[in-house]
Amino acid sequence: MTNQTLALLILLFPVAGAILLAGRGWRLPRIFTVIIGPGVVWASFVCVLALFSGKAHGDFTYWSWIKSGSLDVPFNLLIDNLSIFMCLVITGVGGLIVTYSVGYMEREDDPSYARFFVYMDIFIFSMLLLVLAGNFIFLIVGWAMVGLSSYLLIGFWYQRHSAVVAARKAFVMNVIGDVGMILGTLVLFVNLHAITYAGVFKAVPHTDNGNLELAACLLLVGAVAKSAQLPLHTWLPDAMEGPTPVSALIHAATMVTAGVYLVGRMYPIYDVAVYAHGAVAIIGAVTALFAATIAIVQTDIKRVLAYSTMSQIGYMFLAVGIGAYAAGFFHLLSHAFFKALLFMAAGNVIHAMHDEQDMRKYGGLWGQMRPTSISFLVGSLSLVGVIPFVGFFSKEQVLGLAFSKPNDSLALIVWIIGAATALITGFYTGRMWWMSFWGKPSPQRPVEHPHAPGLVMMVPVGILAVLATVGGLLQTRAFGSFGPSLVNDFLAPAVGPLRWEGDWSEVVIGLSTMVLATALFLAAMRIRPWTAYVPWAQRLLERKYYFDEIYDAAFVRPMDAVAGFALRGIEEPVIDAAVVDTGLLARAGAASLSLTQSGYFRNYVLVFVGGAVVAAVILLLRASS
Amino acid sequence: MSTLNIGGSQIDTSWFLLLSAVLFILGTTGVLVRRNPLVILISIELMMNAANLALVAFSRQLQNMDGQLFALMSMTVAAAEAVVGLAILVDIFRTRDAEDVDDLSELRG
Repeated sequence: MTNQTLALLILLFPVAGAILLAGRGWRLPRIFTVIIGPGVVWASFVCVLALFSGKAHGDFTYWSWIKSGSLDVPFNLLIDNLSIFMCLVITGVGGLIVTYSVGYMEREDDPSYARFFVYMDIFIFSMLLLVLAGNFIFLIVGWAMVGLSSYLLIGFWYQRHSAVVAARKAFVMNVIGDVGMILGTLVLFVNLHAITYAGVFKAVPHTDNGNLELAACLLLVGAVAKSAQLPLHTWLPDAMEGPTPVSALIHAATMVTAGVYLVGRMYPIYDVAVYAHGAVAIIGAVTALFAATIAIVQTDIKRVLAYSTMSQIGYMFLAVGIGAYAAGFFHLLSHAFFKALLFMAAGNVIHAMHDEQDMRKYGGLWGQMRPTSISFLVGSLSLVGVIPFVGFFSKEQVLGLAFSKPNDSLALIVWIIGAATALITGFYTGRMWWMSFWGKPSPQRPVEHPHAPGLVMMVPVGILAVLATVGGLLQTRAFGSFGPSLVNDFLAPAVGPLRWEGDWSEVVIGLSTMVLATALFLAAMRIRPWTAYVPWAQRLLERKYYFDEIYDAAFVRPMDAVAGFALRGIEEPVIDAAVVDTGLLARAGAASLSLTQSGYFRNYVLVFVGGAVVAAVILLLRASS
Repeated sequence: MSTLNIGGSQIDTSWFLLLSAVLFILGTTGVLVRRNPLVILISIELMMNAANLALVAFSRQLQNMDGQLFALMSMTVAAAEAVVGLAILVDIFRTRDAEDVDDLSELRG
């Protein structure tokens, strides 16, 4: 099989699975859903592996999509090391998560069970389209479809009002981003007259800087919305209304990293558009710190993980924002490992606790759910960034490169914020871990003796736990220039080689950050959060810095007021009234005219004859005159 | 005043027209005052025949065959009309015993 066919097959497998399940599969026995749903993702994974092992690269054009004047949109897929890297994450981690859902969703009734896998396969397809697209149009198509499938999956339990509201919120926020993407693409097309990546990047050096800055900023709006960065982040915590595998797949491992992918893919633009590029780093750093502080006070285990996801994606933005693209993508990979692991281990707990998500009602699970607890601990330590887990190597590389970037005060500022965030991460992760798994069982715990998760749930968790433990060996550059740097080397052809080298001070800084974060992780066992002693800060964090309230006051209420005015001031008295009055007029006219319809034959004849007589008289008069 | 030669005797055209008018008025009156649907139908036929008589009379007087053709045409239409009218009547009688058209006044406003 040629690489061109393989690349198309990657996309076709999930979409075929979705169509099969949506059309017929849900009427067949459940075993078909169980095989098809995850099976197609693994089939895609095999195709990606084939491309990966064949060191494939190329820009494959399949057919012309739109051809009109100077606009020529081909359907082309770009296979390079970056898209293969992303596809490996999406289909590999995605396959594990979809397999895990087989067990997690088992309590669903039959049509809903298949519906879940339909949505999951649609999501995998959209995400693959997003990363494989070779031009801006299909990037936007994938981008929007990812938002749609996220909407469908957040609102999967559509009987719950809160889930529907959360889904709508996510969709609206994502559409704001989509608009940014479309406008950015238009700016690029108008100025560069190209719509494919290859064409655009070739024209970049000959383009006015101002236009590139504008396009980069607009694309950044899309990236920020999709990746739940400030200020378009409010949808992600609410998205935890969806089933836990969805949170693991979409809201941790893949979709929310699309923004990082976008900045990485557009690196020729961001390298030139320095202000937009700086904005990426600042947004990332601020979001990292902001989300980490909120995570300190959350009590819902999935919300803690959601805020920590925002925070970790902030790190990725920080990395790509200072130009350390490969480091950002390594963190993306390691985050996919350990955050999917954390979400799925949390899913095991939630499953055993009959959908209770409040950590205060857990406690003492260490003795009762040992494999899950160990997996969760591995994920937590990876999140904190402890040697030898994968999180250490990726996070310290991001921070180390920010620290050592020469002649860049912005990088130093984001490093300070990032390092502070790393310490807070240690604390809130520790709080979550000790509260849920250590100590005595909470008296409010819904289940006295939690059941162990089934094999189909435990195996993916175990695989991810192993990956989170040994994944760091891919790239141990955090120890200076010592050890392999497979991810950097792999991505170098796609996003450019590393632009500067760190030195020994980076290692010292990295290790001391790790020690401090670990100390805070351990300290979280004993001390209560400082916020408990500062009530206003506690309230500020619990209300998530009042972002929802501010948006409510700034956008939702004024819009409601305008809509209300339009309803009462325009719709009802003018438009509605005109229609209603026309109807009333017709009815009144009909009522008076219907009196002539007596139903008596002779009346009609009389009128008819009378009319004939009148006509005859008139004719006679005219003839005689 | 012109005359028509009918079987050797000369008859003034106005007599024919007068007869036609009388028949027509009789028919009209019948339609207006009678209540039996069958009689109304017969009265309508009478009106038509009155018109046919006038047509034929003028045709003879003007030595123009158009009028006679028109009368033939009108008789065909009358036959068709009688078929439709009688069919409706039969159908009405089948479902209800209506001897009075005034009883058939459901379609009033």
